Amino acid sequence: MNNLKINNLTLRDQQGNRLISNLTFEIKAGEVLSLMGPSGCGKSTLLHAIAGHPLNDFDVLGEVSLNGKLLNSIAVEERQIGFLFQDDLLFPHFNIWQNLAFALPDSIKKRQRKEQALVALEQHNLLMLADKNPSQISGGQRARISMIRLLLAKPRAVLLDEPFNKLDQQLRQEFRQWVFDLIKQNSLPVLMVTHDQEDIPLNAKTIIWPTNLSSILKEQEQIC
Amino acid sequence: MTKNRLQNYLRFCFQNNQSFQDFWKQFSASYCVTIPKWILASTKTVVLVTVLLICFLPMLPGLSGLLLAAFDFNPLLNQFHWSLSGFVRLFHFPGIGQSILMTLNVSIISTFLSVLISFAILKRWYQSTHWQKIENAIAPILALPHVAFAIGFAFLFTPSGFISRLSFQLFDIILFNDVQIIKHQLGLIIGLTLKEVPFILFMSIALLKQLNIKQSFQCAQSLGFNKHQVWLKIIFPQWLPKMRFAIIAIMAYSLSVVDVSLIIGPSIPSTLPVMIWSWLNDSDLNKHLMAASGALVLVFICVVLVYTVIFIEWLLLKKWVSWQFSGRKTLTTFKGIDLLARIGLGNLGIVSVLLMSSVSLIMIVIWSLAKRWPYPHILPSKWSLQFWQSELPYLFDTFLTSIGLAILSASIALLLVLVLLHVNNRNNANKCNQKRHLLIPLILIVTPIIAPQLSILLGMQLASIYLGADNFYLWVLWSHVFFVFPYIYLSLDGPWRSFDQRFNKVGLSLGKSPFFVWRSIKMPLLMPAMSIAMAVGISVSLAQFLPTLMLGAGRIATITTEAVALSSGQDRRVMAIYALLQTITPLFFFALALFIAKRTGPLESRQTFSGFNKRDSLSVSRNA
Repeated sequence: MNNLKINNLTLRDQQGNRLISNLTFEIKAGEVLSLMGPSGCGKSTLLHAIAGHPLNDFDVLGEVSLNGKLLNSIAVEERQIGFLFQDDLLFPHFNIWQNLAFALPDSIKKRQRKEQALVALEQHNLLMLADKNPSQISGGQRARISMIRLLLAKPRAVLLDEPFNKLDQQLRQEFRQWVFDLIKQNSLPVLMVTHDQEDIPLNAKTIIWPTNLSSILKEQEQIC
Repeated sequence: MTKNRLQNYLRFCFQNNQSFQDFWKQFSASYCVTIPKWILASTKTVVLVTVLLICFLPMLPGLSGLLLAAFDFNPLLNQFHWSLSGFVRLFHFPGIGQSILMTLNVSIISTFLSVLISFAILKRWYQSTHWQKIENAIAPILALPHVAFAIGFAFLFTPSGFISRLSFQLFDIILFNDVQIIKHQLGLIIGLTLKEVPFILFMSIALLKQLNIKQSFQCAQSLGFNKHQVWLKIIFPQWLPKMRFAIIAIMAYSLSVVDVSLIIGPSIPSTLPVMIWSWLNDSDLNKHLMAASGALVLVFICVVLVYTVIFIEWLLLKKWVSWQFSGRKTLTTFKGIDLLARIGLGNLGIVSVLLMSSVSLIMIVIWSLAKRWPYPHILPSKWSLQFWQSELPYLFDTFLTSIGLAILSASIALLLVLVLLHVNNRNNANKCNQKRHLLIPLILIVTPIIAPQLSILLGMQLASIYLGADNFYLWVLWSHVFFVFPYIYLSLDGPWRSFDQRFNKVGLSLGKSPFFVWRSIKMPLLMPAMSIAMAVGISVSLAQFLPTLMLGAGRIATITTEAVALSSGQDRRVMAIYALLQTITPLFFFALALFIAKRTGPLESRQTFSGFNKRDSLSVSRNA
C-alpha cells in the first residue's frame, strides 16, 4: 500500500530563519491530510519541497519517503508524486486528448496512447471534449481534465495546492467531491493545502498552521 | 442621407413629444451607425491610403519594375517585347550554379544553425541564475551593426588576422593559410550565425516570459518528465511557431545580404546577391538584364525557402505530432539530440557569441588606433591618432549625412506608424465601425523585412529612373522610410496594444477632447516605447547599405556605405575607424533613448533605475 512519510522536515531560508521546523507526519493510502493556514505562510513551499521542485530561497532538511523509499536525492520527475496546481496548467499546444496522452506511462505505445486517453475521457463522461482546445472548454472541465491527467501518470501520492481555489462555489463543491472520490478509488495518500475550512473532507486529519512563522505546529484531529 | 435621417428623427421625436434626452439617445445611436460609414470611414481611408502610398507603394514599382526588367521589357530603350534572354544569359554565366548553391548553403545552414544554437542556449541557460546576465548582454550585441561585426570578424579570421597571430605566437602554427574562413562561404555562415543567434534569443525573451515556463516545468515534471524532455516536448512546440517570423526574417536576410557578404563572403564565384550587385555596377546593359533576372530568381528562392520553413514547422508540429505525447523517451533518447546535449551546444553557443562579438569590437578599436601592426605581433608596434585626424574632415560630412538621413527617415516613419496605429488599431473594439475597419495585414507591413532587399530595390531603382533620377536624396530618404517603417511598427505595436484603453475613456469622461487625451495621456505614457522605437528606427536607417547606394546612384555616402567600400581596400586602420563609428552612432542613440525612456512614462517605472530598460520595452514590443 502507498504511504507518504515526512520525517523531521525543516525549511530554512538563506538567513537561517526557519519557515518550518521538524515537521513529521505520515499519510496512508486513501487518506487525506489537510494543511490549513493563511495564504503566504509557506504551505505551498512545503508542497514544492516534498515534490522536489527546486526552491530558490530555502534549504530543505529532513526526510521525505514514499512507500519506504527515501526521495530526497531522487529527481522530481522520478518521485511519482502527482501535483494538482491552482491553475489547471493544460498545455496550450495540445488538445484535450493529447494532453492526457502526454501523461500516460511510456509502456503504452503509439495508437494505444490515443485510445487510452479517450477511454479515460469516456470513464468520466467527457469524451465530447477530446478534440477541443484547452481554451475552448470551461474552467470546471479544465480542472477535471487536469486531475485525470494527473492520475494517468500513475502517481503513488498526490499533492493538492489549493486546487479548488479558482472555481466558483457550485463547481467547487462538485469538483471537490469528485477529486476525493477518485483519490479514494485509487487509494492514494494525499496532502492538501488550503485556506478554506470547507475544502477539508469529513474526518480528515488537519494540521493548522500558526499565523506567526514559529516552529510550533499543532496537530489535531478535526471533528465535524 | 444622414441629413434625411436627422430630419426624420426630429419629426418623429417632436410628434411623439419625446424628451430631448430620448431624442439624443436615438440620434447618437443612428450617428454611430450612419456617419462613420461615411465621414469617419472616409477620413480613415484617406489616412490609410496615404500610409499605403508611402510605405507600401515601393513594393509595386519594386515588383513590376523587376518583372519588366527581368523579362527585358524596357520602354526607355523602345524594347516592347518580352524575352527570356536575361535568364538564358544568367544561367550560362560561368559559376552561376555554384553561386546559387552557395547562396542556398549559406542561407539554409546559417538559419538552421542559428535556430538550433539559440534553442540550445535557451535550454541550457534559461532557468539558470546566469540568465539575467545573458539577457543584459544580448541587447548591446544586437545593436552591433552587421557591417561592423563583419569587419571585426574579418580582422580576427584573415590569414594575417588576430587568431592567426595568436596561434603563431603561442603554438608556432600558421592558421587559415590552407583552409580559409574569410572570403569563403564558411566564414559567411559562421559570421551570420553568430550575428543572428542574439536576434533569436532576443525575440525569445519576451515569448518565454509569456509561456509560463516555471509552472509548465513543475507540472510536466510532476507527470514524470525530466527537464530535457520538457524542453523538447513542451517548450519547443510552443516556441517554434512564435519564432516563425524571426526565422523567416533571418533566412531572407542571409539569402540576400550583400554588405556582409562583400566583406567576409566568398569572392570567385561570390554569392548570388553579390554577383547581382556587381552586374548592377557594370556599364554593360546586358549585365543589367542579368541582374534583374537574377534578382527575380532570388525572389523565387526566397519564396520557396519561406514555404520550406513553414512546411517544416507544419511537419514537426502538426503532421508528425505524435512524438510530443508518445511518452517520455521517444526522440529524447535519439542519438543526434543526445549528442548535441553532450557536446554542450548551449555552452559553446553562448561563449562563442559573446566572445566573438566582444573580441571583434576590440579588434576594431585596436585597429583604429594602430599605426603599425606587422604580422606576427599580437599588438600594434606603434599607436597613433593620426588616422582619426586625417579622416576627420571626410568623416564629418559623411557622419552628418548619415545622421540627418537617419533622424529624418525615422521621424517620418514614426509619424506614419503613429497615424497607422491610431487608425489601424487592432485593439479597437468599437462596434460601431467594426465593419468598416480596414486592417492592414501584418504580412504587408513586414514584407520589407522578409523580402530580398536587393530585389525590391532593383525595381525601385528602375521606377525612380522613370520618375526622375535627379531627386536622389528624396529617393534615398523614401527607401529608408520604407525599410525603417516595419521595425518601428513592430516595436510600437506591442506597447500600443497593451496600453489600457480605459485611460482614454477616463480622459474623455472627464470632458477632455480626444486630441487632448491623446496628447496628455497616451503620448506621455507611451513615451518610453516611442523613444526606443525611434532609436531602433535610427539604427536601422544607419545600417542601410543597398538602399543608400542604389537609389542615391552612388552620390550619397554614409558611414555604412563608406565602411563597406573601404573594406575591399587595404587600409585596415581607416576601415576600423568607419566600423567603429558605425557601431558607436546607433549606440549613442540607444543610450539617449534609454535616458529619455527612464525619465518618462508611468511614475512607477521612473523611480527605480532598473524599472524600465530597453529590454523590457523592446521585449514587449517585439511580440507582434
